[in-house]
Amino acid sequence: MKTVAVIFGGQSTEHDVSIVTALASVIKPLELTKEYRVEAVYIAKDGSWYWDDKLKDISIYQSGEIDDFRVKAPKVHLLFDNELSLVKSSQFAGRKIYRKINVVFPAMHGTHGEDGELMGLLQMANVAFVGCDMTASAIAMDKVLAKQVAEASGIASTPWVWFEAKELVENHTKVLSKAKSLKYPLFVKPAHLGSSIGISKVEKEGELMNALEVAAHYDDKVIVEEGVSNLVEVTLPIIGNDKLTPALLEHPLTKPEDYFDFEYKYMKGGKKGGKGGGTKGSQGYSEIPAPLPKDLYQKAEEMGLKVYRALGCSGIARVDMLIDTKAGKVYFNEVNPLPGGLYAHNWRQAGISNVDLVSKLIELAEERWATKQKLTTSFNTNYLKQF
Amino acid sequence: MIKALTSIYQPRFARTIVYMLQATEYQLLPYLKWFWRTSDFSRVMHRRQLVMTGPARWLLLAMQTGLLLQYAAGVVFLIWATDSHSYPLAQLALTLIIIAPIVWGHLIIIPLLLGRWIIINPYNLLQIRHSAQSFADHPGTKIAVAGSYGKTTMKEILATVLNEGKKVAATVANKNVAISHAQFARSLKGDEEVLIIEFGEGTPGDVANFCRTTKPDIGVITGLAPAHLDKYKTLQRAGEDIFSLADFLGNKNVYVNGESKQLLPFVKKGHLIYSQKEVADWKISDIKVSISGLSFKMVKSGASLQINSHLLGEHQVGPLAAAASIASSLGFTKKQIEEGIARIQPFENRMQPREAGGAWIIDDTYNGNIEGMLAGLKLLKVLPAKRKIYVTPGLVDQGKESSTIHHRLGAAIAEAKPDLVVLMKHSVTDWITAGIRDKGYEGQLVIEEDPLNFYNHLDQFVAAGDLILLQNDWPDNYQ
Repeated sequence: MKTVAVIFGGQSTEHDVSIVTALASVIKPLELTKEYRVEAVYIAKDGSWYWDDKLKDISIYQSGEIDDFRVKAPKVHLLFDNELSLVKSSQFAGRKIYRKINVVFPAMHGTHGEDGELMGLLQMANVAFVGCDMTASAIAMDKVLAKQVAEASGIASTPWVWFEAKELVENHTKVLSKAKSLKYPLFVKPAHLGSSIGISKVEKEGELMNALEVAAHYDDKVIVEEGVSNLVEVTLPIIGNDKLTPALLEHPLTKPEDYFDFEYKYMKGGKKGGKGGGTKGSQGYSEIPAPLPKDLYQKAEEMGLKVYRALGCSGIARVDMLIDTKAGKVYFNEVNPLPGGLYAHNWRQAGISNVDLVSKLIELAEERWATKQKLTTSFNTNYLKQF
Repeated sequence: MIKALTSIYQPRFARTIVYMLQATEYQLLPYLKWFWRTSDFSRVMHRRQLVMTGPARWLLLAMQTGLLLQYAAGVVFLIWATDSHSYPLAQLALTLIIIAPIVWGHLIIIPLLLGRWIIINPYNLLQIRHSAQSFADHPGTKIAVAGSYGKTTMKEILATVLNEGKKVAATVANKNVAISHAQFARSLKGDEEVLIIEFGEGTPGDVANFCRTTKPDIGVITGLAPAHLDKYKTLQRAGEDIFSLADFLGNKNVYVNGESKQLLPFVKKGHLIYSQKEVADWKISDIKVSISGLSFKMVKSGASLQINSHLLGEHQVGPLAAAASIASSLGFTKKQIEEGIARIQPFENRMQPREAGGAWIIDDTYNGNIEGMLAGLKLLKVLPAKRKIYVTPGLVDQGKESSTIHHRLGAAIAEAKPDLVVLMKHSVTDWITAGIRDKGYEGQLVIEEDPLNFYNHLDQFVAAGDLILLQNDWPDNYQ
């Protein structure tokens, strides 16, 4: 039986969302397959790693018992030996427990996990892992880089500008003048954060500075984007390495102001502004499939797949797009390399059960790893002999 | 191992014992068999919990008091033995303590037996005698429904259809033994035009006794399959008992399910056979089946009926047609019959479809007989779906025929060609698996050791376009 390590939590503003993704959408269906031994690896908010079966129980986090657990439990060490093993003290006669990992399933959101840092570590360990690799994750989680890569591939975005947070302190007039070329309303976002954290909608110039300061508080890069008229937001989950499988185009049933609100998306389950009639997913109510004319639906799906390839995504990702329904235009918005809850609600509607989804993702991870093993990574030279 | 051994000393042991009695419907032999077989009592109330009825409350009190008294006696003897340095007394004290749960696991049947012999049985006998007079005096048409399976469905179909034009009363749910009939008689007001009484046979002579008490005018025999073979021993004896309903009616006004092959040797001249082809003088045609129900036409010398029902599966055509024929013979109009049948909704846990996120789940978990299982599998085969999943633990109470029946079930599963078969691990699993493999099944077969875990997480296995058939549930008291 293969061993899958599910890594979750992390030093991120989306730490709690990650726990729910891991426990409900990854560990449970993986265990139900009965094909894998599943190891829960939790990264606490201070960055310490823990590995224990107790970490599979949501109540340990809800009750605060996790704090006691962390005091008593041994921390985890990682052993790289052209493979990855988890190591921890057995707390008995100085003995250690080793567990060789065949596949890692990162269930991390946001910084230090979804942004490529963890993937870099796993690539160094030469272990198969689920989802985008380090490069694709890093690009996807940087909204500025993602737009630049998309634009280079001929994919349209709404007009946008970006700047570094320090520029706001050093020369805020230059920053404001950069944004002058854009038409209101504008959306101001930290470049690396997800789950709507630090995002503001700006209706007029007077509100811009405040929104910029909020975004700069969270991130060292800030992006300012032009809004879209006659807007319909859609998102498309996709899985695959070379051969891609899109889920269904999904339209969140939220008021625009609520969609940019973490509390609304994760704490209230869409109850505040949901218009009803839709499917309840990990981020409130939505319509699946999005009720769009056939040609516009197709256009958006094609763009989603194009973005996925352009950014070099593999395994799973979700592409967000903005549609001007009157003009019939689709704009790329952003990519989420590890969608909350894997967007399992959408995959179920698309005909892929949770159990099948996680099994497929493991297969894709192994497929990519096997392909990588065929590459030559060493080259003999006489270079050292010169010295 | 240690956990299992110590499970009899846990505080919830008394509650577990009463739960076991309740789950076996206070039948002593099944309870004792279960008690002797169980090694870990902490896992008994895994799926369900004790329901605190009056008898359960009294039994729990008796059990807890008995245990407490024996433990207390043991402790007193132990103290006494320590003071008097008596080794035999200490041995007695420890024995009293150690064997207390086993002793009271058996002694608990004494209040049950006493209660049954002194109070319940004489009271029930009295009630049943009274009810015989009530049924004899009642002016309504009495329809009795008997058979090893399909009784409750047939009764509900008849009740819904006949309610369209007459005042109908029917026995409740699957309450179908003599005392249930007596309680039913007590609930009658006397102005009912039709009474529908379900006959639940259990031991030889039951159906003949029910007939003498309820005095039916019309009989419906729904099917014959191995059930209660612990008492009947053979299918022949079970069939003879069921057909004592036809004997009582002089072989007139008896509707017999022609699709239950086991019934056919008992059919006599004058019996009205119902099937997917005909019933009485009615001819059936244009049968259409879908996930939302079925439809068909009935024609008889110029008269015709267009039947549209929410019930699932071709096997419902016969019972629906029989109900239509009975309604017609009682003077119901075409409109009343058609509207009555259209009003029938799928019965709870019996081929009951529900939609879950684009997937269809057919809940047939109350189906406990091979014929019903085969009918469900037939439906699974014909209904279109992106992916088909079949889930079952198999059947209980199948006697010596169990291996043959489960092999047959396995073969039928393979023929229905589900993409995934999930078998809940029980004593019959190997026979089903053999049946599946012998037919060259090519799909995925999963043996699930923890049914509760599977059912609780069914949503994790299904997606839009899936069709899932769940057949039968396995009571806790069977292995």
